[in-house]
Amino acid sequence: MTNQLNQVLLRQEIQVGANLDAWLANGGGAGLQNALEAPEAIVKTIEAADLRGMGGAGFPTFRKWQFVMAEQAEDKYLICNGNEDEPGTFKDRLLLEKTPHQIIEGALITALATGVNHLILYINPHQNKAVEAARQAVAQWHVHPLFTAVAEALGRPLTLRVFLSSGLYIGGEETAAISSIEGGFPFPKQKPPYPAQHGIHGQPTLINNVETLAHVTHIVNHGPEWYHDLGVGQAHGTKIYSLSGDVLRPGVYELPMGTSLRDLVFEYGGGMLAGKEFKAVFTGGPSNTLLTKEDLDVALDWDSVRARRSRLGTGAMIVISVGTGIVKRVTEYIDFFADSSCGQCPPCKIGTRQISKVLRKIDTGRGRRAELDHLYNLGKLLPGSGRCALVDGAVTVLNSSLDKFMAEYEAHLIDR
Amino acid sequence: MIKGIPYETAWQNYQDHSSDQWRSDDRSKDSLLQQFHPDYQSETITTLQVGANQGDACQHQLAQLLQSNALIDEVDLAGASIVDTDVLIIGGGGAGCAAALVAAEHDARVILTTKLRLGDCNTVMAEGGLQASVGVDDTPQQHFEDTLRAGYFKADRKLVAQMVMDGPDVVRWLIQLGMQFDQESEDPFASLSLKRAGGTSAPRILSYHDYTGLEMMRVLREAVTYRTGIDVWRGKPVIELLSNEFGHCAGAAVYDLSLRKLVLIRAHAVILATGGIGRMHLNAFPTSNHFGATGDGLILAYRLGAKLREIDSFQYHPTGVAHPRHLAGSLVSEAARSAGATLLNGLGERFVDELQPRDVVAASIIRECAEGRGVNWDGQVGVWLDTPRLEQQKPGTLQRFGSLRHLAHKCGHNPAEKPFLVYPTLHYQNGGVVIDRNGGTTVPGLFCAGEVTGGIHGRNRLMGNALLDIISFGWRAGVSAAELRHNTPHRRFTIEHVHKWQRELTLAGLPLDNQGPQLFPEYANFNLKAHVVGEI
Repeated sequence: MTNQLNQVLLRQEIQVGANLDAWLANGGGAGLQNALEAPEAIVKTIEAADLRGMGGAGFPTFRKWQFVMAEQAEDKYLICNGNEDEPGTFKDRLLLEKTPHQIIEGALITALATGVNHLILYINPHQNKAVEAARQAVAQWHVHPLFTAVAEALGRPLTLRVFLSSGLYIGGEETAAISSIEGGFPFPKQKPPYPAQHGIHGQPTLINNVETLAHVTHIVNHGPEWYHDLGVGQAHGTKIYSLSGDVLRPGVYELPMGTSLRDLVFEYGGGMLAGKEFKAVFTGGPSNTLLTKEDLDVALDWDSVRARRSRLGTGAMIVISVGTGIVKRVTEYIDFFADSSCGQCPPCKIGTRQISKVLRKIDTGRGRRAELDHLYNLGKLLPGSGRCALVDGAVTVLNSSLDKFMAEYEAHLIDR
Repeated sequence: MIKGIPYETAWQNYQDHSSDQWRSDDRSKDSLLQQFHPDYQSETITTLQVGANQGDACQHQLAQLLQSNALIDEVDLAGASIVDTDVLIIGGGGAGCAAALVAAEHDARVILTTKLRLGDCNTVMAEGGLQASVGVDDTPQQHFEDTLRAGYFKADRKLVAQMVMDGPDVVRWLIQLGMQFDQESEDPFASLSLKRAGGTSAPRILSYHDYTGLEMMRVLREAVTYRTGIDVWRGKPVIELLSNEFGHCAGAAVYDLSLRKLVLIRAHAVILATGGIGRMHLNAFPTSNHFGATGDGLILAYRLGAKLREIDSFQYHPTGVAHPRHLAGSLVSEAARSAGATLLNGLGERFVDELQPRDVVAASIIRECAEGRGVNWDGQVGVWLDTPRLEQQKPGTLQRFGSLRHLAHKCGHNPAEKPFLVYPTLHYQNGGVVIDRNGGTTVPGLFCAGEVTGGIHGRNRLMGNALLDIISFGWRAGVSAAELRHNTPHRRFTIEHVHKWQRELTLAGLPLDNQGPQLFPEYANFNLKAHVVGEI
């Protein structure tokens, strides 16, 4: 365990940008060598390391891989998901910009482990620097002997390319990403069939967040025990937290998984802005249950946050202080979800908009008690009514704010 | 306490010795300015620690205001009603009115919000006149050169060039609105009467008696009131600008003084026409500025990230009234000196050429008083402005000066019998927000016009250029702001930039309890927090 910042993924020496030689000179390539020597051991290593999906779900990575490995197909796809567009999350763009090679190496290791042979870096076009770095990095790998070695080991043609997403939030959803790469509008699809069985062009498709893939590189290089030791308590490894909101020093912090919220905010974040009082945190998305003052000591890892009925999500922490209106903030985020809804499923398309309308009415001091009941009903009615989890996320944040900050809602009503 | 020659002795000296010959000058202009002009006093200058002008020199009191924390926090915005408009204009003076008229002409919906009332501004205080090269032997080129020279070549040439070229159009537009100018004879078709101002190469001043600005504001106010599409909000000071997710200006938070609540105005473009900062009484100087000139716009723009320039440069008008105390700072028009009135110290000596640029004359008066040759009248120190002699030499001159006679009446004397006691007064903020030729600042969506801008006058303003500048740049800002009305409305309009600002302040170790803008001068005893809850 270590308390130091930026030990693994954001280590200063490996922030070499698109320079492949510099990456290989600073410890890069070792993981890939290990993988080439014993491809069948990789999944075991990842399982032992207990690596989870860093894109927000926290689903065990090795399980996801096994689904794709179980399929028989000539072509299999890997989407390295760097679409991030949600408020408060800004870690993937930094990884892609500063260290694209550790992600590509992670993708190549994944290819060796699972047999996928088409690797797609799926990046948000609004993040110009990340796109530029990824393009340069890919061009250098194409002509590198290690790339050829991986192709030979696979025994099938290997492709690696950058694909620009639509730049929409919904494009980060797994099936929407597939639709996008197939050339269509990023509409999420009905599941099942799952992407592992029926993905891009009907072929098995694996989708991993870029941070997850970056971790793969280091785990295969140093082994699962090393990875275990990085974490605090029961948690393993490190996590990149995107800290924003009313803190003195917002930014990207790579910390041991399981660092407490208090440490993140008050030690690394420099404390609350202008000495205000801590009020709550919107976690990863912001589509999860709010963490409040009672949760300050929660360890920020998958299971501990889960035990508080919230989720770690992408590791985004939007801190708000007592000076900030909760209704206004929730309205803002619901607006974001309403704007991001693809419009396929009427409950999501109309429901999110309706919530935002009612919230705005309350926030501008024109709401009545009946409107609050309306919100309650929507909160019960909407979950699970969409093909993807967008509407669920919106409702979760609404419900938890109603649950924890009822008094603040009531204070805004005309007939309070 | 500055000493001086007691009033009785000085009055005796005035009657006995006063002469037209000035004392041989023992100091160069530069050393005079260096030693006595308030802009050059290093002990009152500090450097800015945060913001777009970090590291720049700035007057101490102004730095404190520029580096102040916001008056409101996000929690105060809860429950505030929201109003949408195309163009929001802040400030009800000449620049604001010109911008409003032009924006409304371009089919934009305009809200003009003002802290006091429409016309409570410095425009009405302008006595001298307006410069425009309309004379037969005059050209915009000469006007351009005069303006640059007066500003020590520190002005932005593009801005000056555009302004002087606009000059004749400005005059035509004002006449079309119904403004009167002095003419050469009684004949209604007679040519406009032109006067020469200090520091210019040709007669170029157009005036209407000695209340040109008041006459200008009369027609502008009328036009704004009767124009459809302009909504005028009185008694609603702006507390904070709003920003969108990209840090662009997205409107403003306005405090309604009568309803005691905040209103959020979402606008495609905001034009700041808030004027100067005289009522902050920098270096404890009296001021000629009106009651609301507290520099709100400058402070808010800086907090939003706009760049400023020449903010350490102010103009001190040489002849502000020094006695009685309650009128200190009120302006005796430059026209009096142009017509031939002289300045005399407590010994009855004439110590400076009165038609030199304002900064030199002001520094000379400060020197006389600092070196003990001023007149001390009940603790108020100043020098004589010799109006009786002027009346003797050119009988009937004072008759032309309505404001001057009015002021003398308020001071309790007859200007034909007794001279004014005068001392320099804080008059004009030479620098301000950096603008381009369309009045656009470095923050998208934020425009500026009038005294709040910088770069037009350099480090010293020529008399008569202020009235030209407010109309010329008011127009430009109005047109460019109106063009933005076709953009999609701002999705977010919050005070998030304030959080960024608080972060910078904390990291620089500056206090957060120093809040601004002040909205009203200190002696108004206005406290926003107390006012909201009704404790006044």
